[in-house]
Amino acid sequence: MKKKIAALLMAVMAVGCLGACGSKEVPANKVFGVNDLEGKKIGVQLGTTGDIYASDIKDAEVIQYKSGTDAVQALKQGKVDCVIIDEQPAKAYVSKNDDTKILDEEFALEEYAICVAKENTELTEKINGALAELKEEGTLEQIVNAWISPEDGAKKGEGAYTSPEGVDKSNGTLTMATNAQFEPYEYKDGGDKIIGLDVDMATAIADKLGMELKITDIDFDSIITAVQSGKADIGVAGMTVTEDRLKNIDFTDSYTTSKQVIIVRKK
Amino acid sequence: MNSFKEKFIQNFIEEDRWMYLVNGLKTTLIITVLAVLIGIALGFVIAVIRTTHDKTGKLKFLNLIAKVYLAVVRGTPVVVQLLIIWFVVFAYPTASLLVAAVITFGLNSAAYVAEIFRSGIMSIDNGQFEAGRSLGFNYIQTMIYIVFPQAFKNVLPALSNEVVVLLKETSVAGYIGVQDLTRGGDIIRSRTYEAFLPLLAVAIIYFTIVTVLTWLISKLERRLRNSDH
Repeated sequence: MKKKIAALLMAVMAVGCLGACGSKEVPANKVFGVNDLEGKKIGVQLGTTGDIYASDIKDAEVIQYKSGTDAVQALKQGKVDCVIIDEQPAKAYVSKNDDTKILDEEFALEEYAICVAKENTELTEKINGALAELKEEGTLEQIVNAWISPEDGAKKGEGAYTSPEGVDKSNGTLTMATNAQFEPYEYKDGGDKIIGLDVDMATAIADKLGMELKITDIDFDSIITAVQSGKADIGVAGMTVTEDRLKNIDFTDSYTTSKQVIIVRKK
Repeated sequence: MNSFKEKFIQNFIEEDRWMYLVNGLKTTLIITVLAVLIGIALGFVIAVIRTTHDKTGKLKFLNLIAKVYLAVVRGTPVVVQLLIIWFVVFAYPTASLLVAAVITFGLNSAAYVAEIFRSGIMSIDNGQFEAGRSLGFNYIQTMIYIVFPQAFKNVLPALSNEVVVLLKETSVAGYIGVQDLTRGGDIIRSRTYEAFLPLLAVAIIYFTIVTVLTWLISKLERRLRNSDH
């Protein structure tokens, strides 16, 4: 009797395993352009521009993941038909996942800006001033180019920005909230240190303001809350300005532009 | 600063954002109810296996499986179990998010419910059991007619606690993209970039459900206690 029950249990487990592993057939790619998105399952990262725009697509089922990595994982397993996400992280994902590609046709254009709490207009103005200076000097362009389109043979981000020697840091700390899963804007490469375009840009701004930059790494959808509640002074995470967001938080001038692109399976 | 009314309108009325909360609540309740059912059914079976083994020394193999199961489930965080179920076990295209969530929380809850039931069964004095046997009941009859009814009354507070914990625990389902109540609030938050109202609304809804649930269970408890006299 005991053995029978045991054998039965093993059989049930084996069948369950087969059921789970058996139907692994990933369907063929059905998305070839923006016009194909209607009625599809679209994976996005919660709170990103891709998420907000994708919700407007007719009959589309939008599944919001905690990170772009999860969305791409779901794409590879065939759980979604495509992933809409910012161009640069998309390139990073695709370079690490051979079975995916980015469609040539972009989904939307957008501008990235730094967010600051509504009450903190003084800081917004100061940052806008610093941004204007950095643009004029060409520092900002240098940072962006070094991360987005590095010269042949150069490593990503090489020579993007180094703080001037003996820089003044007497004006206190500038706390930046970010979500370090967004290559090349902010990510961890091996070690614990967060690197990326946004980090270098924020460092350059902090240097201009005579402040010490401190970075905290939190969930993307918590960044705004952190800034609003004063846990962080600024939020820098490839954030796009939208009307709805402007009602509750301020944005500085834009520091770079980006595209929303569509990632699909190759086959 | 915007006035409270404006914020309220922006967070809940505009673009029918309140629907995120309503749909989220539906999902949360579905996951909770189904998970509780799985948890109680499976938990009961495990508890019976474990106590039968303790009392009679039989079912050695099943007892071992049950023990391993309890160790694994209680030894790992539910978020990790959820991610494993969704990205490893259910790694195929047609997998349903809801099913994955229900199974995860059901299997997780079963481990805790099993121990609750076991403690209930073990709390019944062995004399009761022996009395049943000496009246001519066999092991199963003794359990069904004498031990379980008394045990159930004892475990009710702990069981209701587990249901409440489970309800709140489902708030991590958003990790795999399930649009539950918490995630509904998160979506509003990501659209309006306003934290206070969506989070407060989510908290109030959870609190209300838990309060109603607790009240219902306490009524049941009182009714069961009536039979003591």
